[in-house]
Amino acid sequence: MFVAFEKVFTLANMIYLFKGALISLMIAALALFFGLILGIIGASAKRSKFFLFRWLGNIYVEVIRGTPMLLQILLLFAVMPAMYTAITGSVIRPNVYVIGVIALSINSGAYTTELIRSGINGIDKGQWEAAETLGLSNFQTMKLVILPQAFKRIVPPLVSEFITLIKDSSLISTIGAVELLKSAQVIGNTYFDVMSPYTLAMVFYLAMTLSISFVARKLEGRLAQSD
Amino acid sequence: MIKLKSITKRFNQFVAVDNVSLEIKKGEIVCLIGPSGSGKSTVLRCINGLEVPEEGQVLINDTPLIKDDEKYTDLKLKMGFVFQHFHLFPHMNVLDNLTLAQIHVKDRNETEAKDIAMKYLKRVGLEEKALEYPSKLSGGQKQRVAIARSLCMNPEVMLFDEPTSALDPEMVIEVLSVMQELAQEGMTMVVVTHEMGFARTVADRVIFLEDGQIVEENHAEEFFANPKSERARSFLNKVMH
Ligand SMILES: Nc1ncnc2c1ncn2[C@@H]1O[C@H](COP(=O)(O)OP(=O)(O)OP(=O)(O)O)[C@@H](O)[C@H]1O
Ligand SMILES: [Mg+2]
Repeated sequence: MFVAFEKVFTLANMIYLFKGALISLMIAALALFFGLILGIIGASAKRSKFFLFRWLGNIYVEVIRGTPMLLQILLLFAVMPAMYTAITGSVIRPNVYVIGVIALSINSGAYTTELIRSGINGIDKGQWEAAETLGLSNFQTMKLVILPQAFKRIVPPLVSEFITLIKDSSLISTIGAVELLKSAQVIGNTYFDVMSPYTLAMVFYLAMTLSISFVARKLEGRLAQSD
Repeated sequence: MIKLKSITKRFNQFVAVDNVSLEIKKGEIVCLIGPSGSGKSTVLRCINGLEVPEEGQVLINDTPLIKDDEKYTDLKLKMGFVFQHFHLFPHMNVLDNLTLAQIHVKDRNETEAKDIAMKYLKRVGLEEKALEYPSKLSGGQKQRVAIARSLCMNPEVMLFDEPTSALDPEMVIEVLSVMQELAQEGMTMVVVTHEMGFARTVADRVIFLEDGQIVEENHAEEFFANPKSERARSFLNKVMH
């Protein structure tokens, strides 16, 4: 079954896979970052006193969470160039990595919105009341009392979100981005053996996800110190 | 100092406080007692704006307490509030719990805020716990820290909502004695409590509530020795025996 393994296991191929892994990691990290920004905006919208903002926040979260990520990527891949043409009048060949990051960010933002919202809602309302009786404004209470506590609850699921993003970034191979999975496929095609490069890709994915979990556990231990 | 003028507070259809009027004078110690669900907490929470009554008026030093009014925050700061479950800020140590609002609300600088915090921590006998996190404290210690945190804001009245109900029996006394000292220093206090011994010895006046209404208002000694109302009598019979 693995007859071609020694042939595939060359320095050049390993470097090629490593580059693919770096791209997957970069895309996931960027999507996590922009998703976090979208999540803060989304959570603020969902907690807003204005109905319109709450409504928009709900629609965003429900549409993204209720549809497949692959579909979102493919749709954005189709829509973005058309929109560009409609606005500027000129035609572009879309950069699939940029589209990938945007699609993953929008997707992650919906999940992060819920993470942040439930992190904030999970703080006992007694904390709000105690702050109120001490004369702190709503904004001060949010900044000094609620968010620092919510942050601790948000970090662990945010790490899971990062791991999910690393795995799901493989979906953008469908629009032509050469990340880790696609790199493995490319190698597979040259050797007419996908088994070995796929197995190697798995090892790379695991190396990334397990080391992130490991760091996260250390971090959680630190954060839990005051509890 | 505090005046409630015919306040009514409803939760949906349910009337939790029904047309309650009362007055608390400077230096007075008043205990609110009554069966569970009689509206004691709600009355207390209306006094400092944690609940807003649908009808009637809350006056602090003859100024109406109205949300979004410019005087609202100043009026609220005249009142300290102590909760049954303490509600210390778990992510800060004791000292930071005590200085947070001093710095951000009273605009005191850090040194001044710390000095004041240490002064009140000493008063409640916990200066050696200044750098501990709340999770490391016993219930009684937490409540004393919560009282100190309120006192740091220099309130004119202290409101207590069952400050000892969440405590193990052996810790009740340390909290009650801090409250007793406060009373002796002349602090105005409104206390919701099930501690009949405390009400009897420390309170000037007792207000007995049932179904959201004031059933009896009496001198503390008189109330316990010889309650006027039948309902207060049967309540006392139940809780004292
Ligand atoms: N936020 C709320 N929403 C709905 N109902 C409430 C709320 N707060 C209080 N109530 C109801 O109002 C009534 C009075 O409540 P309150 O907490 O003032 O009673 P209490 O006398 O303090 O009772 P306890 O001794 O149990 O603390 C109760 O029936 C309670 O269920
Ligand atoms: Mg109560």
